[in-house]
Amino acid sequence: MTHSIRLTVNGETYEREVEARTLLVHFLREQIGLTGTHVGCVVGECGACSVLVNGALVKACLMLAVQADGCEVTTVEGLSTRGALHPVQQALVDGFALQCGFCTPGFVMAVHALLARTPDPTEEQIREELSSNLCMCTGYVQIIEAVKDAASRLKSWNRGST
Amino acid sequence: MESRKYIGRSARSKEAPRYVTGRGRYVDDLALPRMLHACILRSPYAHARIVAVDGRRAEALPGVKAVVTPEAVKRLSRPFKPGRYAAGLRVPIPEYAGAIDKVRYVGEPVAIVAAETRAGAEDALELIDVEYDPLPSVVSTEEAALPSAPVLYEELGGNVAWEGHVAYGDPDAAFARADRIVRQHLTMHRYSSTPLEPFACLAEAAPERLTIWCNSQSPDVIYEALSEALGIDAVRVIVPDVGGGFGQKIHLIRKYAVLTALLAVEAGRPVKWIEDRSEHMTAGGHSCEQEFDVEAAVTAEGEVLGLKIRDTDDVGGSVSTLTIHFTNKLNNLFNTYKVQHLRLDGRSVLTNKCPVVPNRGIGKPGMCFVWERTMDLVARELGLDAIEVRRSNLVRKEQFPYTTPNGNIHGSGDYEALLDRVLVNVEYAEVRRRQAERRGGSTLLGIGVVIGVEPGGRNAARDMAIFPQSAQMPGSGGVEGATVKIEKNGSVVFTLGSPSCGQSHETTAAQIVADVLGVALERVSAAGTFDSVSSPWGISSSNSGNNFHLYDVGAVHGAATRLRDKVLTLAASVLRADPSLLRIEDGVVIPRGTGPRGPVESVTFAELGKIAYTNQALLPPGFEPGLQATYYHSHPHADPLMLPDMQGRVRAQYTFSSAAHAAVVEVDVETGRVRVVRYVIVSDNGTLINPAVVDGQIYGSAAHGISVALGEGFVYGADGQLLTLTLLDYGKSTTLETPRIEVEHCPVPDPFTTLGQKAAGEGAAIPSPAAIASAVEDALAPFGVEVRELPLSPERVWELIRARA
Ligand code: FES
Ligand code: FES
Repeated sequence: MTHSIRLTVNGETYEREVEARTLLVHFLREQIGLTGTHVGCVVGECGACSVLVNGALVKACLMLAVQADGCEVTTVEGLSTRGALHPVQQALVDGFALQCGFCTPGFVMAVHALLARTPDPTEEQIREELSSNLCMCTGYVQIIEAVKDAASRLKSWNRGST
Repeated sequence: MESRKYIGRSARSKEAPRYVTGRGRYVDDLALPRMLHACILRSPYAHARIVAVDGRRAEALPGVKAVVTPEAVKRLSRPFKPGRYAAGLRVPIPEYAGAIDKVRYVGEPVAIVAAETRAGAEDALELIDVEYDPLPSVVSTEEAALPSAPVLYEELGGNVAWEGHVAYGDPDAAFARADRIVRQHLTMHRYSSTPLEPFACLAEAAPERLTIWCNSQSPDVIYEALSEALGIDAVRVIVPDVGGGFGQKIHLIRKYAVLTALLAVEAGRPVKWIEDRSEHMTAGGHSCEQEFDVEAAVTAEGEVLGLKIRDTDDVGGSVSTLTIHFTNKLNNLFNTYKVQHLRLDGRSVLTNKCPVVPNRGIGKPGMCFVWERTMDLVARELGLDAIEVRRSNLVRKEQFPYTTPNGNIHGSGDYEALLDRVLVNVEYAEVRRRQAERRGGSTLLGIGVVIGVEPGGRNAARDMAIFPQSAQMPGSGGVEGATVKIEKNGSVVFTLGSPSCGQSHETTAAQIVADVLGVALERVSAAGTFDSVSSPWGISSSNSGNNFHLYDVGAVHGAATRLRDKVLTLAASVLRADPSLLRIEDGVVIPRGTGPRGPVESVTFAELGKIAYTNQALLPPGFEPGLQATYYHSHPHADPLMLPDMQGRVRAQYTFSSAAHAAVVEVDVETGRVRVVRYVIVSDNGTLINPAVVDGQIYGSAAHGISVALGEGFVYGADGQLLTLTLLDYGKSTTLETPRIEVEHCPVPDPFTTLGQKAAGEGAAIPSPAAIASAVEDALAPFGVEVRELPLSPERVWELIRARA
């Protein structure tokens, strides 16, 4: 049996039929082609599938697509505007904060959520908040530095856009 | 010589913008028309005979398009040829892509299904009827080696599948003249590099050829495997973006490539198979559990005269990678030390556990662990300072280029300087002072200082030193190609012969191309990722063996140099100038001597591109149209000792980076918890092409080695069931446990490579487990604790303390 759901993803509205067992991450990747959200474990341990649902950071492998009915979802594809990278993305690029890139979309979303809540995080807070996103390549050093950089970029960016 | 506008600079990553916007293209992101999805039925038993497999109920399920059972695997495919990874196998054992009549580890693939949807394929697995006859299993090498143990491969008559040794110098004589012999038994556990993206294959069997998209590090392995198993010559291997490799995706992945391809052939439709995390943990390959009985012959002053090691490798339930953890020890057999006499005996023992695969260093972390634990032991037993014992045994600066007794040539380096520098950076005296203050408290401070090499650039002939009787020569030296092209509009694209798994190969290669051609970095890009029909590849075209810096850099530099000559020839003809009087600046060819001001006769790459591809009348006589060059690189200094000599000396790899590591840890005596307070590295990677990229490689590999030492690893029950199926259970360190690693570079350029570069990749994973072991032992010195086993999980540390307290 399928269920029909209606949700907004990156500002666009989708109406689709989904099986009850379809995970949000599979819906995003396979049904609407947003392959930027990755699957590293599918049991909530790696954070590669992190997205925002109604503004809150969610692991899309721990949520069913039917549970996202009526929600507003933001994925990594929804952050950059008109080709310009979001300050979080730019800071990660400039800081060499990624290697294979597989964890990166999850980190982008997690950092985005972290800085929305805590605009001036200490290193300890960064480490605490990002501890549910795993990266097998970088050893986190450049990621943590890039988050600090993103925090200061974001402040001037926010000033500029208000 | 090229200008150095970009080489040596942390030029901004070319790959990163697509990754941060979710535009990477990994295998699972690809879809083909009429594509099916595959799922694998795996063995629940560690050891069992397969009595019968019946796929008929699964086949009858709507949406199921093909079911491949062991009978079908045997009928439709051929076993792999035992390759270099299985060198030393004493009787040929046919190994198919799936289990045939027996399973030898939990998770071994038994059947594979293709269906319209992944969920449908999963449902179908439940309808496959398998009758097993469970057999007793064996999980420790000690038990497996007993004559009474259940035998995995009857053909071998026992589980000790290989025994052999290498010896250099005269170890017996060294031991005879020693003042003292020190001994210890060391153990390194099973772990993996757990790339975040598990294995992934997408196969399409078209009439003209079989194409596979696969996240393989070594497309050569997949290419050979498909040809061998399916008897197809027309094979195309495409490697799109890869979500991490670290050795994990070199070998075992070939099974899955073959199974996926077999389904695609059977179903007549494209088939995608994506491994899930628990499948990867159980059956995707582990590093080997290694045990070492070590004896060192030493003088009273702490000079190590010789070493004897007996190495037992637990290779799990397959013979296909029988000796890799042994053979790779040739690469850093003497670490950084000038010791002349060594004997290494090896045994590969089969157990009912996951097969072993290459893994960030393969065997080299074990070899380094042996050396560095030995240095600490020598110091302790002789009452000397551990750093001074190391120092007195190091190869000295003036000995470079230094040939090790087994034939490796360390081109350049200054090991003592690395050691000195790391002591300064870690503030050694200050750490000792703070340590003394804390004595008697509940958290003790400890420091470990170790040193190691990072070999790079593989010599394919290495294993001939160990297996001279091998029927087939495994190849020799190395070959890798690259193509560089100036397009009609003047932009520059290049194609490397090898895949990348996140090491910024596109960025690094682009920097070289930009400097050689004299063009802005923004104008240079990679044409795409690896594709066996268009990438110029050879035996070194592998994201392994630390090959990139030697082979890819040499190839892309060579191709760009060739193209530069072509550009100058064409420009000279267009400008009616002497080519030797031309220079290139920012994609414009200008006669030398003409300044930036004043009328200059110059020609741009775009103008040259237009002529080269469209205007025959303007081409000089004999000029091949187009502006493209391909160059295949072999290491010009591959000899001497590319092939083994009479003493079995052979170059295992061609370049040797080195680094000193200092770890400062805090050990909680009540809980056994170890916290890494500081982790300091001083590294010599030769000429750095992109320092920030090299830093990233060092941080990542150090973090992995530290996590391994602190507790990440696989645990099996006595019945052969894997108990660590998830990343959490496996104990991967997160941002909370991973220290802020500090790196300083002290590069000494390599005299033999294109730009003076040396390896940079897995290096810091080699000494870091030893550094943590040293530091923990140092912290627990008041208890007299000796660290001989990894991992140092809180339980183990607590037990070590309790045993002594
Ligand atoms: S895929 Fe969702 S947390 Fe790993
Ligand atoms: S960059 Fe590879 S997993 Fe993080």
